[in-house]
Amino acid sequence: MLKELLPKENLANHNKVDSWEEAIRLASQPLLKQGAIEEQYITNMIDSVNVNGPYIVLNDYFALPHAKAGEAVNKQGMALLTLDHPVDLKGNPVKLFLVLAAIDSTSHLKALSEISELLMDDEKYKVFINGNVDDIYKLINGEVN
Amino acid sequence: MKILAVCGFGVGSSMVLKMSIDKACKERNVSCEVENTDISSAKGANADAVFTSHELAQELESSMNCPVFAIKKYMDKEEVGNALDQLLQNGGK
Repeated sequence: MLKELLPKENLANHNKVDSWEEAIRLASQPLLKQGAIEEQYITNMIDSVNVNGPYIVLNDYFALPHAKAGEAVNKQGMALLTLDHPVDLKGNPVKLFLVLAAIDSTSHLKALSEISELLMDDEKYKVFINGNVDDIYKLINGEVN
Repeated sequence: MKILAVCGFGVGSSMVLKMSIDKACKERNVSCEVENTDISSAKGANADAVFTSHELAQELESSMNCPVFAIKKYMDKEEVGNALDQLLQNGGK
């Protein structure tokens, strides 16, 4: 379930950051504090962008940083950071970072498809991009349709 | 018709790309099996087309004997739809 993988304490908003690397680090903090991921996972996500390019930017203003399942991941989870001011990620402005930590190739798929459904809905997408954490949580929690 | 959605790890982006392709096929009433996978499993796999990123497309093109479509934004319905239309016009089954 999405709301179990992405509880409210894993959502954060910041005004602005200096780099996309900083955004990924900031977005990952709740997962790091909960022991779901190790520092190494953050490095792996950043390295992946440098090696594989910015394909984690899945839509205008939205990126899904992730790395290999099970490596430096203790427990699956997600964390979301919204920015008031977009930061450049190799030529793409990004305001929404959804960090995904997976333990294997399947356990997280239900939650990931749930949040993708929300993000593929144009009206709901606007709520995510606007960045208000309370409004976003209502969508994740299924309080509004 | 079988399409592979490929990303570096096969756990995140390729799943989203699969959803976008599924939606685009549904809109066009095309029956299509879409599988998401990582780049190493994709190499040499049997499919009618591969959808992946620009960076991975370059790496995959030499090892696939089906068309490879480079997608910039995996969640962009229009971009994915355009690639699918191109595939359907050029002999997708």
